[in-house]
This record gives sequence, structure tokens and C-alpha cells, in this order.
Amino acid sequence: MALDFSIILRFQDALLLGLWTTVKLTLVCIVLGCSLGFFIGLARTSRSAILRAASSVYVEFFRGTPVLVQLFWIFFCLPLILGVELSNLTSGVIALTLYMGAITSETFRASLKSIGPEQLDACVALGLPRRVQVTNVILPQAVLRAVPTLLSNCVSLFKESALVSAVGMADLMFVGQNISNNTARPIEVLTVVALIYFVIAFPLTRAVTLVERRVLAKLAI
Amino acid sequence: MGYSFDFQSVSFGPLWEGLIVTLELTVAANLIGVVLGFPLALLIMSRFAPIRLPAMLFVEFFRCTPAIVQIVWFFYCVPMLFNVFLGSMTMGILALGLNLMAFNAEAYRAAIQAVPREQLDAGIALGLNPLQRTLHIVLPTAVRASIPVLLTNGIGIFQQTALVAIVAVQDLMYQAKTLATETYRPIETFTIVALVYFAVSFPVSQIVGHLERRRQLMMS
Repeated sequence: MALDFSIILRFQDALLLGLWTTVKLTLVCIVLGCSLGFFIGLARTSRSAILRAASSVYVEFFRGTPVLVQLFWIFFCLPLILGVELSNLTSGVIALTLYMGAITSETFRASLKSIGPEQLDACVALGLPRRVQVTNVILPQAVLRAVPTLLSNCVSLFKESALVSAVGMADLMFVGQNISNNTARPIEVLTVVALIYFVIAFPLTRAVTLVERRVLAKLAI
Repeated sequence: MGYSFDFQSVSFGPLWEGLIVTLELTVAANLIGVVLGFPLALLIMSRFAPIRLPAMLFVEFFRCTPAIVQIVWFFYCVPMLFNVFLGSMTMGILALGLNLMAFNAEAYRAAIQAVPREQLDAGIALGLNPLQRTLHIVLPTAVRASIPVLLTNGIGIFQQTALVAIVAVQDLMYQAKTLATETYRPIETFTIVALVYFAVSFPVSQIVGHLERRRQLMMS
């Protein structure tokens, strides 16, 4: 069978447009998901039992079910329950943000836990109010320590974003599959799509290792 | 809210059949991943670049591309490239198994690197050859140390099995999609299916948490 990779050049623009959707979706959900994850992480270590229970149920549920099922649920069920139409972009953003929130909350929780109790004792000794404790002592350290794992969470999100193609959002995977179906050249098109994902995700995973060494060295932990 | 719930219209027969298929996929993929992941880890750590580099490329490729892309690629391209036509179940197992193999190889590698140097020195002192050292010292220690990660990866692949629904393997997710369209009851169907996935994953992740805590206690 003759392979003809020049076919990719003909559909270059469509693929780039799909990639742009994937990247946009990923970036939006990284920002929203990390913010959500930080508060959920705090809620899971909160003194209020209700907050703790509610946030645990949320995190365990999203970590315990396939993202595809979550996506279908939000895509098909949420509009029925809310009684409003959701565009597939909105449902995609909601689903991936909730997923990202759940996995990053675990990252933040672990990094919050790694801050020793002596730090809090020092805050108390210095008479710092609770708000200053959180914003000036705990937050900066927790965020720094979370950076490597957050980065790998971002890579996971980037990969999971390909699932939105299953609900008809025109991301890189969706465009790729469409082209491959219409031209009957799955080998060329799907291989290139996989390579594009790889070319973005692989350097990011290397960056995780690099940052890990740097951050760990800097914090001397 | 104008929606009246009707859980009666969800027929459990197809969902049950789907769950069986999902579990079969999970078990088979895990067998491939757990067994072949170890030799793959040894290849990644080989001193010979011609062995190490292809193995690393294999692992990184599976870790750095979306699982859905891998599965679609596998289902479309493998039959065309190699002129083999396997059943969709076999294809699903192979695609998921190869993916898990790559992730487990990384888990094994971390565990192998954590085997204390002294143990290997002791093996040399006892006159064990490299194969014996690998089989009797590295393998048992590394496998035990990697159990929590292997379990986590195992549930991960259980969740990823939902992706084969896209290429028409009749797993739990596929049955759910069919049922939701046939009965016009997406909320009930997808909620039940989400709960089923959760009911399988959650206990396993609790066990992993328990194992990890016990390990930390033993280390300290």
C-alpha cells in the first residue's frame, strides 16, 4: 500500500484550526481547573466536616469515573436538568474544568500537607492573623511545591481534551478523524494527529522532570 | 425543573453484559501490562542504546498521546498496515494492553531504581549471575514496591476501556449510549453507568491508599 503524506499539506489549515481549538480549550480549563482545584484542596483540609465531606465526594467521584462518561453526562444530562441549551464548547469546558479541578485538588492537598506544622506554630508565635498565614506563608510554598505535579496534570488534561471529539467538538482529534474518513487515508492522517499531540506533550513531560529538579533543589527538600 | 425521573425504563440486561465486556477488557489488558511491563522496564534501563532508545520511544509515545487517538489509530491503521483482521475485542485488548504496558514499565523502572544498591552487592558477593540477581533480588523487591502504582494504573485502564465504545466494542459505555438513545433516558442511564464505574474504581483506590499509608509507616 502506498503511503502519501502530502495529503496532510492539503488539510494543513483544518488541522491547525483543530489544534488551536484543542490548545484554547486546554488553556481555559487549566486556568479554571487550577483555581477550582486550589479551593477544593483547601476545603478538603478544612475544619468544617460538611465542606470536607462535600469536597471529598466531588473529588472521589470525578477520579473514580471515566472522563468520557463525565463528558457524556454533562453533554446530554446537564442541559435537561438545567433546562438550558449548552453549546458543545460550554459543556466541554465544564466537563474538563471539573475533571482538572478534581485532579489538581489532590496535588494542592499533597503540597499543603507537606508544609510542616512548625510553620503554623511560627505564625502563631508571630501573632499573624489567619488571612496572612494563608496568603503569605502557606500559599506561596504550597503553590511552588505543587508546580511539577500541576504541570503533569496539565499534560493529562491536554491528552484528555481529545475526548471532546466524541461529543462533536471540532478539536484536533475530531478534525483528524473527519479528514481520515473523507479521504480514506487513516494511516497518514491519524499518524500525523498522534505526532502533533506527541510533539506538544513530550517536551512538557521533560519540563516536568526539569522543574522538579530545579524546584526541589531551590527549596532544598 | 420539568424533568421526571424514570429509572424503571433503564433495562439492566444490556448494562450487565456491557460491564462483563468492560471487566474482560480490563483483566486482559492488565495481564499484558503487568507481565510485559517488567521486561519493557528492563529494556528501557539497558546500557545498549539500540535497545534502550526504541523501548523509550515506545513508552513515551504511549504516555504522550491521548488514549483515544491510540485506540482509533490502532483500529483503523493496524489492519491496513499489517493486513491482519482481528476481532474488535482482541483489538481493544491489544490497544489497551500496550498502553498499560508503557505506563507500568515506568512504574517498574522507578521501583527497580529504588532497589538498594547493597542488595545487589550482596547478590554479587553470593556469586549470583546477573540473571539470578534480576530474578531473585530485583524482581520480587521491585514488584512489591510497585504494587500501589500498578493498581492505580490498573484502575486507570479500567476507566480508559470506556474509549473502546467509540470504535464499537460493546462495553458498558457502548451499551449506555445505545440505551440512552433508545429509551430517551440519558440522565438515568448515564448516572447509573457512572455509578457502576465508580463502584468498581473506588474500592480499588481505597485499597491503594491503604497500601501506601502502610508502606509509609513501614518506611518511617
